[in-house]
Amino acid sequence: MNNEGNPQLLGKKSWHGVDRMKLEWYPSIDGEACTGCSLCIISCGNSVFKWNLLDGKPRVAVPQNCVLGCTTCGKVCPEDAITFPSDPSTFIRSVAIRYKIYPRVKEELEDRLRKFPDHVVGKGGGGKL
Amino acid sequence: MIPEFAKWHGINRSEIRWHPIIDPNKCTGCGLCVVTCSEKRNVFGFNVLSHKAEVLFPDNCMVGCNNCQVSCLWNAISYPEDIDYIRKLTKGISKEILARELREKLEKNPELVE
Repeated sequence: MNNEGNPQLLGKKSWHGVDRMKLEWYPSIDGEACTGCSLCIISCGNSVFKWNLLDGKPRVAVPQNCVLGCTTCGKVCPEDAITFPSDPSTFIRSVAIRYKIYPRVKEELEDRLRKFPDHVVGKGGGGKL
Repeated sequence: MIPEFAKWHGINRSEIRWHPIIDPNKCTGCGLCVVTCSEKRNVFGFNVLSHKAEVLFPDNCMVGCNNCQVSCLWNAISYPEDIDYIRKLTKGISKEILARELREKLEKNPELVE
């Protein structure tokens, strides 16, 4: 599926500095097992799914929006009708190592704690990041 | 807990056993779990003395999400329950509640309809 230039993808193209578009990670729905309960589309915060009004079932519409390594829709699916290309842990850890994300993660951690200072624990004791 | 997260499809979030637990002996303080969790849920804090992540708001954790656990290279994160527990929970959700939540989501995001 080619979704290049899709405005829904804006702002979702990087995973800790890794180009999201280089990597394949997305849910696949077994249409026969799916009962159309809609938990997947309700749970997903990234507009991966669309809802087909004709059969009352979800479709995987924008796979590139799927958060790398996320399997939340699959875990909440009561019918176990959603699968992913590989084991999430093996996949995401190999990406983390191959793309050497940790210096970027450290910067992101500093940004996060600057933005949410109440998430810094132990700061009264003179600790430093 | 953020009020929006007090109920999960009609079930009291406080009654659901789903949140990360950090083993401080394994945590290296890389911070990936902290920044993997969304800013909105922001379950983790970071202890600048021990240089390790801490779980500050367990009930903000999205039920079914364990993205922090799967990405932790040091296997320092566990959850109190597994996927069978989540599936049992989902089977108990009221169909009326899901129908309403779907309708509301599609009304708010009409581009999701095809």
